[in-house]
Amino acid sequence: MHIAELAGKDPFSRRYFMEMTAKLSFGLSLSVPFLPRNFRAQDGKKAQNLIYIYLSGGMTHLDTFDPKKDKGVMGRTEMIDTKVDNMKFGMHLEPLAPHADKLAVINSMTSTNGAHEQGQYVMRTGYEKRATIVHPTVGPWAETLLGKRGKELPDSVLVGQSTSNAGFMDPSLSPLPIADPSGGVPNTDPIVEGDRFQRRMEMARKLGQQFTEKFKYSGPQSYVEYYDQANTLLAGDSLKAFDISGESNRSEYGENRLGQGCLLARRLVEHGVRVVEVVAGGWDMHQDIDTGTQNRVPEFATALATLLRDLDERGLLDTTLVAVGTEFGRTPVINMNNGRDHFPAAYSCVLAGGGVKGGTVYGETDGQGRKVKSNPVKPEDFLATMGYGLGLDLEEVVYSPTQRPFTFADKGKPVTSIFG
Amino acid sequence: MKPKTTLPLLGALAALSLLAPTPPVEARTWTSTDGKPLQAVFLGIEGDNYKFRLQNGQEILVSKDKFIPADHEAAERLAKIGDDSFTKASARQIDTLLATTLKKNGFTSFNEALPDDLFVRRVYLDIAGRIPTREEFLRFAESARPDKREALIDELLLSPGYASHLFNYFADMYRLHASDFQNGIRMDPYIHWWREQLRENRRYHEIVRDMILAEGNVGHNPASGFILRDTGMEFDAFANFGQVMVGIDISCAQCHDHPFDDWTQGDFFQMAAFFGNTQRSIGYRSSSSMMGGGTIEMPNAPPGWRNDFMKWAENYKGIMPRDQNSNSFRFFVNALGWNVADNKDLETVLPHDFIGSGGKPEQVASPRVLLGPTAKTGGKTRREALADWLVAPDNPRFALVIANRMWGRAFGRAIIEPVNDFSDDEIKRASQPEVLKFIESEMRRVNYDLREFMRILYNTRAYQSIATAEEPDLTQKYYFTGPVLRRMRAEQAWDSIMVLSQGAEIDEKQGGDGSFYRKILDIDFSSASHEDVWEHYEMWQSLRGRGSSMAMVSESGDSLPVMVNDTELRASELTQPAPGGSLLDTFGQSDRRITDDHNYDGSVPQVLALMNGSVTRQLTGPSSKIVEDLEALDGPDDKVRHVFFTLLNRFPNKEELDLGTGMMEDYGDEGISDLAWALINSPEFLFIQ
Repeated sequence: MHIAELAGKDPFSRRYFMEMTAKLSFGLSLSVPFLPRNFRAQDGKKAQNLIYIYLSGGMTHLDTFDPKKDKGVMGRTEMIDTKVDNMKFGMHLEPLAPHADKLAVINSMTSTNGAHEQGQYVMRTGYEKRATIVHPTVGPWAETLLGKRGKELPDSVLVGQSTSNAGFMDPSLSPLPIADPSGGVPNTDPIVEGDRFQRRMEMARKLGQQFTEKFKYSGPQSYVEYYDQANTLLAGDSLKAFDISGESNRSEYGENRLGQGCLLARRLVEHGVRVVEVVAGGWDMHQDIDTGTQNRVPEFATALATLLRDLDERGLLDTTLVAVGTEFGRTPVINMNNGRDHFPAAYSCVLAGGGVKGGTVYGETDGQGRKVKSNPVKPEDFLATMGYGLGLDLEEVVYSPTQRPFTFADKGKPVTSIFG
Repeated sequence: MKPKTTLPLLGALAALSLLAPTPPVEARTWTSTDGKPLQAVFLGIEGDNYKFRLQNGQEILVSKDKFIPADHEAAERLAKIGDDSFTKASARQIDTLLATTLKKNGFTSFNEALPDDLFVRRVYLDIAGRIPTREEFLRFAESARPDKREALIDELLLSPGYASHLFNYFADMYRLHASDFQNGIRMDPYIHWWREQLRENRRYHEIVRDMILAEGNVGHNPASGFILRDTGMEFDAFANFGQVMVGIDISCAQCHDHPFDDWTQGDFFQMAAFFGNTQRSIGYRSSSSMMGGGTIEMPNAPPGWRNDFMKWAENYKGIMPRDQNSNSFRFFVNALGWNVADNKDLETVLPHDFIGSGGKPEQVASPRVLLGPTAKTGGKTRREALADWLVAPDNPRFALVIANRMWGRAFGRAIIEPVNDFSDDEIKRASQPEVLKFIESEMRRVNYDLREFMRILYNTRAYQSIATAEEPDLTQKYYFTGPVLRRMRAEQAWDSIMVLSQGAEIDEKQGGDGSFYRKILDIDFSSASHEDVWEHYEMWQSLRGRGSSMAMVSESGDSLPVMVNDTELRASELTQPAPGGSLLDTFGQSDRRITDDHNYDGSVPQVLALMNGSVTRQLTGPSSKIVEDLEALDGPDDKVRHVFFTLLNRFPNKEELDLGTGMMEDYGDEGISDLAWALINSPEFLFIQ
């Protein structure tokens, strides 16, 4: 059914569209039936959850997943073996080497965006950045295409940033932002405790009642519901999903934002959150690549290795797709400040768990990591691969409030061969 | 009833009257100390006299001391904002037109008239963008003047809060963002320019004209920020232009013919071609390489200046091309190069994958408007032709769009929604087509004076009705029996909280004006030495590491940047937009990426912030202004009233009073603090009724 048919010929606003789509529970298909359907939802593999680790700034591919024999491009980074014969790492990834058999490494990522913001935008939404529309990230897409999963917990959470949005989709689908993984949900410590808090809440309810009865609008009524939800959150156990203070393996993940973010992601997935994005910066290494990689790469390797092991031990790895993305790679030429600059022509991303065939190396760059030699994967293809793993129908059309049709990952082609 | 007076038509007015019916005039009746009436249009104060125009067109001076005191107050007010004879006549005309259609559609009349207490809260929020203080509320409630409503409307329209609140609207519509750009460029001077236009009540069409025609960079000419805003996304910029200027979203015609309307892909590019030879920055080539490409040098600089300077910096200042600091240096040089200019060598070229009708791939598009009368291009630059076409009296869209938008601001719903995308057919099918036509002509009559236009709307009986109790179905026509209930904008909520904690003085406080950034960009390249320009780079460097507050800084006498405290200001004075995770962001302030994107929906993080956040902690704590003010009051009744006056600006009803005094009996001052918390956390606080 075309959304315009639902709306008749009357103009309708973003809000109206939202209400309309909300009424459709976001589960109803708005597909255009005549499109060929190569990648149907039912083809999707077994992943039910997604943890998308986003390394902001541009992860150097040569020093991590795509090292070369050519010493000229490698600088001080040495190539090491992993558990998998044809998968080589830069030496600082060493903590991850024993888990290489769980990974599918894509070394043929290629993008046209050399600027951080544009590059990051397409890597997180699957669409090029535009000034007329904001595209949703994976969380809101998954909730729209698969339906809402949880009752108390949000379907998607964004760790490491203080703000989020759902693009052109209903704001209620916005991932819940958790800026500090150790800080939990903001504003959950009541000003007054116990009876006095209850007294206040009770009085607010009584005083608000006349108003909500006087005006038959969805707005004030929705606030009554949000207060109920907030109280449920404060009173119940669900806040615990955000509290990693009691986790015994905190130090194993690493006492840093990325490590703690990954731990929180595991905890959230365990409690039923479907999509967790963990964003961590520090990868824009224009200067002194050696110090940069010494700091960031082991941190990342430790966090990812611990996450994979932890998920595995809890029986969650098969159902949780773990993705590692970044906006571009870094130049094969080391600059005079011993740094590497932006390099979108070739870079690396990683997938694991969720039905991914471990020990896979997909695509290849030339001997200097300058050019993709085989199987190029564009940002929208990478997003489509995540969507495929998560069982999203990549051809299901969702209309923006301005009636523009969108599909998840902008017609990107999923790399299906990395799935077992 | 006052008799109607007819004024002789002035020349300009006569010309306009051909376009629209001139409203009848309701001139104010003035009263002499001995009780005699004088009905006349007030023209101003001249020395010790008031100047009037009589019914017969004669202008007279009358000594001030002949009038009663109430007239003195009115004269002072009207001298600042202008006589309101036309204003009121126009308001009555709107009411008449609305009521006629209302009745035809089965309504008896408008909603019940708004009582004083609800009136005062609403006009403070709608006009000044914040709730009134307790004192402001009481001053109005206790005033017995018959003209107190119109007087308050005028007072608020003249207050700094008016410009502040209107700024927030335009900041959303025009996507004002201080730093959403590559290469470190800032837009603070452009943003501050907007604040100034609104403080000065510049006419809207003049603001638009200035933006379209601007040349130079945001330092020389802040209005150039409008065009520089979307460098690299010129066609998207044009799509936005369509939405805000003529109320048509043609963005899909960028890639193919519009599926529902008549616009072809060719139309899009022909219209966009009005900006086709507008160049935006040095050495910049748009990613689409169809607009804004090419290379220019710094304005008035000798040829090759940019390269010379880069080399000089390398040789004498040790700036290395790949150095981290040289990043900042390159950003600086780029920022100097961001200049709007016309370049006749540039053209809009249709994309290689052009698939629509009205053109062929890679064809040069010649400028042509897609609606209304033809744009006359003779002897003008393309942008001049576009600006003239837009503001011409026979443009079918420009006045209509802004009038409809301003109506939406007053009533919580525009006559046509959405305001940024409607067809001609939808204009015809509007719920109140006559009113729409009338307010369009009124927008022209007041010559795009938005303050006067809003003054008309606020003086209508329709506006001064209680809000419609049932949410109008968005699929149904709404006939405007009164305003609809609205949630406060994020900025209204923020500014209301500010006034609760800081008092009304908050309206006067101004944030950074971007002047230091302007100073950095202010270089005369025809005479500046490399060393001179280097000094500007050092100024640029002095701002580094100050994060988003960087260009909030104002210039002080000794030219050191002055940081402005970022937090205790009204929303319009902060860096635009407020950062993610801030209260403004949480309550739906637009992130300014797309037009009209403020979000009015509630959320769990919002209510958690109101329940447990630092703002509520401060407002309800023992040292808060609300609690401190209690000391001057006796008895629980007065204290409870005080809390209601302060937070909801109304009298509590009996039940509420009993609830509050009961709390005080049981818990003393703790009870009052609890009451304040409860009122902040009741939906009424966030809604405008």
